[in-house]
Amino acid sequence: MGPAVYILSALTFTACAVLLLRGYLRMKQRLLLWSSLCFFGLAISNLLLFLDLAMLPDVNLYIWRLATAAVAVVLLLYGLIWEGE
Amino acid sequence: MIQGFLLGIIVASSVMAGIFFLKFWKRTRDFLFLAFAIAFIIEGLSRASVLLLAKPNEGSPWIYVVRLLASLLILFAILKKNYGSKDQSSFGPVSGQTK
Amino acid sequence: MNEETPYSKEVDEFISEQIDTVPHLEALLLLWNSRPKQWTVEEMASALYVSSSTARNILQGLARRGLPVAGLGTPENYRYESISRKQDSLIETVDAAYRRNLVRISRMIHSKAAPGIRDFAQAFRFTKDRE
Repeated sequence: MGPAVYILSALTFTACAVLLLRGYLRMKQRLLLWSSLCFFGLAISNLLLFLDLAMLPDVNLYIWRLATAAVAVVLLLYGLIWEGE
Repeated sequence: MIQGFLLGIIVASSVMAGIFFLKFWKRTRDFLFLAFAIAFIIEGLSRASVLLLAKPNEGSPWIYVVRLLASLLILFAILKKNYGSKDQSSFGPVSGQTK
Repeated sequence: MNEETPYSKEVDEFISEQIDTVPHLEALLLLWNSRPKQWTVEEMASALYVSSSTARNILQGLARRGLPVAGLGTPENYRYESISRKQDSLIETVDAAYRRNLVRISRMIHSKAAPGIRDFAQAFRFTKDRE
């Protein structure tokens, strides 16, 4: 239980990011690049959340968590809008 | 103030991305897109639940549950795509080498 | 007319996953039907009624996806290069289906999702089998 779930999501998002990056290098499809960056960002955000909750009680990473997640999803949206059609 | 701003961006963008994925799912009938759509939409909506919290920094139990569900759903979709029940071998044994 | 034959699901899946445009399909089938003839880009361009650069993109795209298309030499000549017998028979089936149902298949290709979306989905396949 506990913050371990954020490790799981960090790993899941990292896996997605790696698969998409591999796909981008192969197929040169820009949507894959943007979504890969998004998932890396979400992985980092989850990792920061884990660190925040489990390991660094005297440091508050909240703003950083939010900032990375926000940038990540905006990148994805950018990719979806421009490259999804 | 800035936290609310960032949170708003995350919620709006997540839900919108989810709607895009819904559209792609409708077009391709690929379960992977449905999984991402659900994941992003419930992520976005659950983050909005921070409005009900006294101490937003610590993350509500909703975030926790939703994050878990979303991750499992995505993992399930990826595994299903690769090891799913329908016959995936209509291409026959390709040894993986290409030009 | 438009009956659902037993093999059309396999054909539909192949086309849905591997074929970007009608010229892509026609190029592949031209190579298949004329094998092992080698085609130059210009020959393919005039056979498909497209520009040379389009023809080159199509042929390179087919090869890059792991389809049984090989480009050899400089300047590249392209020909059908069989990978497996099972795939050959699939291509043969696709060829027959396209002859019988040209309108239906063309329409299906035109209504497909954008290639970016398809590539997104394919990126999540661990192995390159279907690429």
